[in-house]
Amino acid sequence: MEHRTVLVLSNRQIAKDYFELTFAWPERVQAPSPGQFLTIRMSVSFVPLLRRPFAFSRFDARTLEAALIYQKVGPATAILASVDTGDSLDMLLPLGNRFPVPQPGRRPVLVAGGIGMGPIFFFAQELLQSGVKPLLIVGARNVAFTPSMELFDSVDTIICTDDGSRGFAGTVVDYLRQHAEKVGADAELYGCGPTGMLEALAAYSTESGFPLWVSLEQTMGCAVGACMGCVVSVRGPAQYARVCTEGPVFAAEEIVWKQTAQRKQLT
Amino acid sequence: METNGAAETVDLSVTIAGKRLANPVGVASGTFGYGSEYEDLIDLDSIGALYTKAVTLEPRPGNAIPRIVETPAGMLNSIGLANVGSRRFVTEKYPFLSQQTCAVIVNVAGTGEDDYCETLEYLEEHAPLWGYEINVSCPNVKHGGMTIGADPHQVESLTAALRKRTRRPLLVKLSPNVTDIAVIARAAEAGGADALCCINTVVGMLIDTKKKRPVLPGVTGGLSGPAILPIGLAAVYRTARSVKIPVIGLGGIMTADHAIQYLMAGATAIQIGTANFVDPNVTGTVLSGIRDYAAAQGLRTVEDFHHLMD
Repeated sequence: MEHRTVLVLSNRQIAKDYFELTFAWPERVQAPSPGQFLTIRMSVSFVPLLRRPFAFSRFDARTLEAALIYQKVGPATAILASVDTGDSLDMLLPLGNRFPVPQPGRRPVLVAGGIGMGPIFFFAQELLQSGVKPLLIVGARNVAFTPSMELFDSVDTIICTDDGSRGFAGTVVDYLRQHAEKVGADAELYGCGPTGMLEALAAYSTESGFPLWVSLEQTMGCAVGACMGCVVSVRGPAQYARVCTEGPVFAAEEIVWKQTAQRKQLT
Repeated sequence: METNGAAETVDLSVTIAGKRLANPVGVASGTFGYGSEYEDLIDLDSIGALYTKAVTLEPRPGNAIPRIVETPAGMLNSIGLANVGSRRFVTEKYPFLSQQTCAVIVNVAGTGEDDYCETLEYLEEHAPLWGYEINVSCPNVKHGGMTIGADPHQVESLTAALRKRTRRPLLVKLSPNVTDIAVIARAAEAGGADALCCINTVVGMLIDTKKKRPVLPGVTGGLSGPAILPIGLAAVYRTARSVKIPVIGLGGIMTADHAIQYLMAGATAIQIGTANFVDPNVTGTVLSGIRDYAAAQGLRTVEDFHHLMD
């Protein structure tokens, strides 16, 4: 992990309230992996105070460009939305663990809900580059929250909307249950999105027997494992695990979902 | 970086209980883990003192989630002294900490006099470090912590009991959540404390108006960050004028100017807490700012800061 000032290359809206920010990868910093995240200091004043975490959504080793996708939902992300090309941002990066590569013989099924799309898109690109074609399932409230990414041209992509305004009408888990033929017999599931969606996905994982990896979020203090603030409930004697260092990617079977259902507070 | 000739004549080392700290800028317990977490980001040798995450006799899982929430110019936490316990501290954390050149001060917490004493005895035997900071001010546990720290009799008795068990510097970390911090400060001094750390977090709460419930499951938490700077300063100012032992100031320090205010209020050293989360390099920035101010004002030691308002 490194603490760097990075140069913003672009910051564009990709769907309702969703933005993609790209930046130049700083020199002598280890390349990020899908699932990993960074934190940004949002202001040199003290409001907002804490750095905010964002998952990497793309990394190009050739051009040394990286990206993140964020939702403009509160004061901190409103500041981020006002950032321009050529501005610099104070980042800690890369942080946390990555999505494990699929077990041999298993087909990766990548499931994104809402703003959870960032790390899922990154993982889809990495799999593609390694010659693996994943199934990508992207869930959103309605068509306004669904971006159109170049990635969708090269990956088998299913869009699901709650109101049916684009693609499949229903949740991502509804889609998985109703399209067993598409999912296949040897899926390995990867999910990032709202806790409710991940909990439903975990139930599907249990009934289908497909292993599931989830990327979780929690309000963060230090992001380096020191403050014990960003924990989620896990099985076992420790009871809690830090999202920043033991995660953000966990095996779904480790998570105690009832206690993790409380959403993060920071926006 | 430009070198300032005058700055090199400033000696910012400080002495507590006869033992030296290379500089007055420490990192506060609970915000810096056991040091190794920040190893990649800052030079640990540059820190005046590293106050560890609280150590209790047995491991503690900590409080229910969520544990932190941002507030205006601050944050509330309810971590609940989540820590690995004294035995794993010795086997997993001590080997790294004992290699550091900076002073490592172990924050010790407990539920009552017996387990504070047992923890300290265990650490004395298996993990001897620079000194101890006794946590009688955590607002997020049902037993021990602030419940002891609000009672001068318990503070004096506990401090005296611990004093018998170590010759290392014994610092007592006080809570601002009391009627008069000077009463507690004098009790700790009477018990044999070598120094006092003011302040731990301030009790606070936040309500989620959509869900119609407190944001933190335990209702209240400890407020930290720049919002509490004036509370810490007032506590240090009063405490420093109520006891003879050194006072270490903390609470809301984000900048060198904030730290200088603490030194002017009477602090012999300071600790940086929440600001580490915002800027991992803050200790270096604060130390060089203190040095520059001292040079510009013709101050030679930290002691000189104490007389600036005379």
